[in-house]
Amino acid sequence: MFFYTYLRRELRRRMRQAIFITLGLALGVGLVVTVAAASAGANRAQSGVLSALYGVGTNVTVTGPPVMIGRFGQVKMGGLTGIQVNATGVDFCHNGKCEKASAGQSVQSVGPPYSAFSSADVTAVARLHDVSAAAGGLLLSVNAQSIPTTSGSGPSGFFFSVDGVDTGHLALSPLSAGTIISGHLFTAADAGADVAVVDSGYAASHHLTVGSAITIGNAPGVTSVRFTVIGIVRQPTAASTPDDVYIPLARAQALQTAPGPAETGEVDMIYATAASAADIPAVQHEIAALLPHDTVTTQASLAGEVTGSVKSAASLASDLGRWLAVLVLIAAFAVACLLTVAAVTRRAREFGMLKALGWRTRRIVAQVLGESLAMGIAGAAVGVGLGFAGAAIIATIAPTLHATVPGFIAPTLSGASSKAAMPRGGLNGELDPATASHTVAVPLHPPVTAGVIVLAVVLAVAGGLLAGGFGSWRIARLRPASALALVA
Amino acid sequence: MYQLTGVTKLYQKSRRTVPAVIGLDLVIGDGEWLAVQGRTGHGKSTLLNLLGGLDRPTEGSIELDGTGLGTLRETRLTRLRAEKIGFIFQTFNLIPTLSAAENVEAALIPLGAGQAERRARVAVALDAVALADRAAHLPTELSGGQQQRVAIARALVKDPQVVLANEPTGNLDEDTRDDIIALLETLWRERGLTLVLVTHDTAIARRAQRTGVMTNGHLTIRQDSANR
Repeated sequence: MFFYTYLRRELRRRMRQAIFITLGLALGVGLVVTVAAASAGANRAQSGVLSALYGVGTNVTVTGPPVMIGRFGQVKMGGLTGIQVNATGVDFCHNGKCEKASAGQSVQSVGPPYSAFSSADVTAVARLHDVSAAAGGLLLSVNAQSIPTTSGSGPSGFFFSVDGVDTGHLALSPLSAGTIISGHLFTAADAGADVAVVDSGYAASHHLTVGSAITIGNAPGVTSVRFTVIGIVRQPTAASTPDDVYIPLARAQALQTAPGPAETGEVDMIYATAASAADIPAVQHEIAALLPHDTVTTQASLAGEVTGSVKSAASLASDLGRWLAVLVLIAAFAVACLLTVAAVTRRAREFGMLKALGWRTRRIVAQVLGESLAMGIAGAAVGVGLGFAGAAIIATIAPTLHATVPGFIAPTLSGASSKAAMPRGGLNGELDPATASHTVAVPLHPPVTAGVIVLAVVLAVAGGLLAGGFGSWRIARLRPASALALVA
Repeated sequence: MYQLTGVTKLYQKSRRTVPAVIGLDLVIGDGEWLAVQGRTGHGKSTLLNLLGGLDRPTEGSIELDGTGLGTLRETRLTRLRAEKIGFIFQTFNLIPTLSAAENVEAALIPLGAGQAERRARVAVALDAVALADRAAHLPTELSGGQQQRVAIARALVKDPQVVLANEPTGNLDEDTRDDIIALLETLWRERGLTLVLVTHDTAIARRAQRTGVMTNGHLTIRQDSANR
């Protein structure tokens, strides 16, 4: 009790100095909390953009080289390669063979944008040391065309994407980032069913609801499949170009564009998740060694493709903000140390008397450390409050950030590729201008996490103890006789 | 009680060596009251510091009940001061943020006494100096004489064997000075303390059993006093 009484009275005696030190520490700590929150918010916003590209639960995606529509003999999974309008009518050409199309008929060409992996590849990835789970996906591009009823007019149509998802690993699929707004998602029992989940934007533009029907693969010589819509999903706005239709993987694999047996077991995307965030680089390396001709993409590599103010904000908070906080903290620590040493010097006579009374040096040091610690704790409390206020101010006044996600990225052996980027184009392979880069608004919500609060408290307490340590050093060197001889 | 043999204390001031005490031989018996006079700067306070273990001699030895103060480790010296030696200073040296009772209590902290015991002993000590009604007052709320009484209570609360008083009445008016000296004398007699008192005042010095005079670091003992 004597310890606390002495401590309390002493802090009250030099209240102004104690408040000055406390506020200095609070300012440094508050800046650390605010910068950390801003940085975390910017990084979280950026991560939100990235995770929307291929799902929340996926750390690594693997894609093969792009399939060039128009190269005969290299299309393993089929696909019409062209519609030719001539004097005799309209011809569908597929793998070098052409058939006549009827006027007024609607046809679809279905093809994958990327080269295929076998199911063995998926299994091999899943068995890698640092991979906790892996699943395949089959991304298909569908070009739906309506054949004109009169010759001389070209076909009209639209593109849509079909994503075959592993219903047993939905957490690894692009559906994991979305929110179901009508109906429900796939269950494991839907693995072989002709059911579909439709993107909310696509559903709105094509007047689709739960229970509606979608036909995929309608072409001469191709067995079309009618899918029933069981759910409508809204993908994050940060997703550059969400897929239009999601169907069970096995059903996507069964779609064909030419007579013959279905190409089962093949995928053109592999989604993997690492055992921990620290293992992602190792997983990327292992998969690259296993599949050397394919592109292995992580969030970090995708991050390099995302541009815009969200990236600038993350960089600003991380670099400039961090150094500013460090400088302010150093200044606060220095001021606290100087003021504490000055206070100890002024109290030299008092400490000399305590030594004369038989107080051990460490007892006196504990008293001074206690005073400094009290100021540090008060500084931490005020600093955390300032940090919360700073984060709230940033959330209120910060301008809306933007992220620009490339619409098409040419995959390379070492570069990044985006699942959402596929070579959509006309039946002759032209690029669809609708897949240009996409800019989305990203809200900034700076979070003040428990970890940051703990860091702030530790920093403030450390500052207080550092100041007390300097004072203690001064006390330890104090000779009682000299101290008592000082003029009061 | 005390045995000083060939005690010398030198101070270094820049490049100069200043002798404060030179070749001092002295024996102070148990329960003796020794007054030390002398002009300012002749070594009186240095002698008191050496007797209290607040400083160490450059040469010679100082023994307190057979224990050499000059060679004792700092922690043991601190412990010895806590248990056996009480100090009274001219400027009182009370802690300004603590009340009279808490200042007295500060002397008991190093002894590890419990809170209840400390409070009881503090009450007795303040009562002995007639300040029981001022226990909660801060030093700034006390007169000079009252502050010195608190300092006396602080010195005596631990039941020391030795009390070292350095100009205890130096900052007090004449009437208060007489009161303080009378109080010290009473307590000395009642408790059988060994009292070493430094003073400029010859009238006060004459009340001691023995009087010494410090001149340029040398101590000369005068045998005449009122309490022989």
